[in-house]
Amino acid sequence: MNIVVCVKQVPATTEVRIDPETNTLIREGLESIINPYDTHALEEALRIKKRLGGTVTVLSMGIPSVREMLKDILALGVDQAVLLTDRRFAGACTLATSYALASGVRKIGNFDLVICGKQATDGDTAQVGPGLAEKLNVPHVTYVQKVEEIEHGYIKCNRVTDDGSETVELTLPAVITVVKGINTPRLPSIGGIRKALKDEVMVWDVDDVGVDENLVGIKGSATWVIKTFVPHYSTECTMLTGSIQAQARALWDELIERRGAL
Amino acid sequence: MNNINQEYQDYLRDESRSTGQAESIFFPVTAEEVRTVLLRAGKTSVTIQGARTGLSAGAVPQGGHILNLSKMNKITGLRYDQEQGRFVLTVQAGVLLSQIKRVLQERSFDTENWSGSSHQALDLLRQSGQWFFPPDPTETSASIGGMVACNASGARSYYYGPTRKHVEELTVVLSDGSLIRLQRGRDKVEAGRFNIITDEGRRLSGTLPSLPLPAVKNASGYYLQENMDLIDLFVGSEGTLGIVTEADIRLLPLPAAIWGVTVFLPCEESALRFVHAVRSELCPVAIEFFDHRALALLKEHAQAQNFDEKYHTAIYVEFHDKDEVSIRNSVMQLGRIAELCGGDEEKTWVATNRHELEKLHLFRHATPETVNTIIDRRRRLDSRITKLNTDMAVPSRELDNIVRLYNRRIEEENLEAVVFGHIGDNHIHVNILPRSIDDYLKGKILYLEWAKEVVAVGGTVSAEHGIGKMKVAMLKEMIGESGISQMKRVKEIFDPLGILCPGNLFPEPIRAGE
Ligand SMILES: Cc1cc2nc3c(=O)[nH]c(=O)nc-3n(C[C@H](O)[C@H](O)[C@H](O)COP(=O)(O)OP(=O)(O)OC[C@H]3O[C@@H](n4cnc5c(N)ncnc54)[C@H](O)[C@@H]3O)c2cc1C
Ligand SMILES: Cc1cc2nc3c(=O)[nH]c(=O)nc-3n(C[C@H](O)[C@H](O)[C@H](O)COP(=O)(O)OP(=O)(O)OC[C@H]3O[C@@H](n4cnc5c(N)ncnc54)[C@H](O)[C@@H]3O)c2cc1C
Repeated sequence: MNIVVCVKQVPATTEVRIDPETNTLIREGLESIINPYDTHALEEALRIKKRLGGTVTVLSMGIPSVREMLKDILALGVDQAVLLTDRRFAGACTLATSYALASGVRKIGNFDLVICGKQATDGDTAQVGPGLAEKLNVPHVTYVQKVEEIEHGYIKCNRVTDDGSETVELTLPAVITVVKGINTPRLPSIGGIRKALKDEVMVWDVDDVGVDENLVGIKGSATWVIKTFVPHYSTECTMLTGSIQAQARALWDELIERRGAL
Repeated sequence: MNNINQEYQDYLRDESRSTGQAESIFFPVTAEEVRTVLLRAGKTSVTIQGARTGLSAGAVPQGGHILNLSKMNKITGLRYDQEQGRFVLTVQAGVLLSQIKRVLQERSFDTENWSGSSHQALDLLRQSGQWFFPPDPTETSASIGGMVACNASGARSYYYGPTRKHVEELTVVLSDGSLIRLQRGRDKVEAGRFNIITDEGRRLSGTLPSLPLPAVKNASGYYLQENMDLIDLFVGSEGTLGIVTEADIRLLPLPAAIWGVTVFLPCEESALRFVHAVRSELCPVAIEFFDHRALALLKEHAQAQNFDEKYHTAIYVEFHDKDEVSIRNSVMQLGRIAELCGGDEEKTWVATNRHELEKLHLFRHATPETVNTIIDRRRRLDSRITKLNTDMAVPSRELDNIVRLYNRRIEEENLEAVVFGHIGDNHIHVNILPRSIDDYLKGKILYLEWAKEVVAVGGTVSAEHGIGKMKVAMLKEMIGESGISQMKRVKEIFDPLGILCPGNLFPEPIRAGE
């Protein structure tokens, strides 16, 4: 079973700060981490590999420094890591990202399964997994919380739905996106780190993957950001003090008398 | 002042879960208010409280007033110590450890009443990377006053030492309302004598004995050494000598690389060999132990990382270093040592960033937390049952023996227990989980038996939680009648009426004329 896992690097916080002048994300001073959902995608791939054999390849599109993150991931027991990086990939919307990643997966070749996280904690669209499946022309299932069966050419998954869950059967190759409940991600071992010391991350640019440069990056994007802004929250907090009776009284006055709750 | 009515019942307890009584409670906001309380107290006793996270009932009152410092919670200044190349933060006693951690991480302080020079120091701090306050007791809602009073420590104290090592200056109000400032390096005890001037210009002098210290991590009774800094007498004095109102604490630059590794080993013998080898060959900041009972408990109850059924004992080792290359080197060596001791490099968890490290720390803290949850459940069936938690340390050469002793006696008495903690410092906790009142009574006897053994081999009855009111008999076991009476005489110098925290350290409240 050959599995490709797509991982994205994201800022370590959900408190995204936006530069009011340029309307772009302020990345300075923010620690970068692997998208938390993608650690579950990786774990699932490694578990499937342990059962069925085969290979696990991680694929990421991002800036050159993402290489460090991929090196750390190699220590988990991943067979190879590929970074797509090129100025021409930059500024991509989800469509162009899906196309670029699909080209990367094709170049890696001979895949049975692609696993993505449910969504990225910064972009948050949850579109890349399904987009990638369309570009690869394979079936997909999102929000997978359990891989119930998997064998050559076949996978049975249980996915989260709004009002419960459902079981879906697919033929492989396919794309699945996973939720956090699917597993507990592992940490690397000393042995894994030692082995990974010798491994290298493969770095590919637009020419290496042989894509149409008009379909990736900002040129290949179907949507553009016209404006971004920080929503204004005006919630206020009032601390009540005094005896419990006095606080209860104040709460009653505020909620019932003034705001007419009940 | 407030009378103790329904609203203040919580202030009669601490985390030892024992309850006391008091007539009134004060929440001073300035050192001046602390003085006023003491000037008016007369002969009424005063129990000092920080955040009441103590485990030895030190903050549980036995009548009289409660002086609770939780409202003295301001960080009041910062300075840069050019000579030592470090920052010194001035904090009121009620400031919580969690508060200090947060402001240092975010480098954002409430500077409303800060002086110009503190503002300048803050600018410098912001330009010079991350800084941290090394003491790391598990309970981060402890107050600085409480940490100083108990000389608190944590896993990283293996390398950085306990709170004592990181306190530069203290402001202390004495029982008669006078105020003294103690500075490390300035206020020394020389040839057994000390000499200080109070804020009002009164000279205070006296003679201090020097008592042999056990050569182990220790939080039992006063620190009394020849030619010591007077400040060290107050660190670890558990509220019995004066009220700490403000402390100057040292900050260190946060190391660039912090990695943690949990190593699983196939049996306890191999884990002990591993600990000895790591101590002699590497320079970690923490070495923590989980026995097989603790791992079994975590497997069953905690939402922890997945681990193999076959893993028997675990050791957590943390490294702080200047860069990735050096730290990776140490971790690789750690792997080799594990293999030589019968372990397997693959059976390890390595955390190389803050988020992963958090996971390993949570795993470490899950042991006592799980124990507490189970005990709380059992207490509902029989309220007489409490956790029995030992806090003893022994000299290095006795480590293997003490572990064997704990194992043997737990089995012989057929008790449910877990053994875990600061093995680097030969300081491991046994938590007994009584299933019945019989177990509880058996456990209590066992605890005293162990205290005797530990003392006999040169160890301490409390290495980090303090004596408080719960281990008074054990302190006597440790330092004998003469040690107790020497310590009592020290108390009489600073608190002649014996009004401060009666019941702490000494069997009975000492009163004037007795
Ligand atoms: C209109 C628009 C304009 C944008 N413009 C820019 C821009 O100018 N510059 C810019 O940097 N970003 C830009 N973005 C953000 C960028 O498009 C997204 O970050 C990217 O397409 C991934 O989408 P997402 O973060 O919502 O991922 P999701 O769809 O939420 O991610 C789902 C999963 O897809 C996989 N995945 C997602 N991204 C990657 C990746 N890069 N590598 C590997 N796997 C991945 C992961 O497994 C992830 O868990 C723009 C987005 C939009 C919607
Ligand atoms: C879950 C848990 C984990 C813990 N882990 C650790 C650990 O890893 N390491 C460790 O060392 N401890 C640990 N403790 C114990 C406790 O947190 C420490 O003893 C801490 O230092 C107590 O601080 P406090 O502010 O809560 O003090 P309190 O409990 O309020 O008081 C403790 C003692 O200090 C005195 N005191 C308090 N403030 C002052 C003051 N300003 N001036 C003079 N005397 C004062 C009190 O009179 C009392 O004797 C733990 C406790 C819990 C509940």
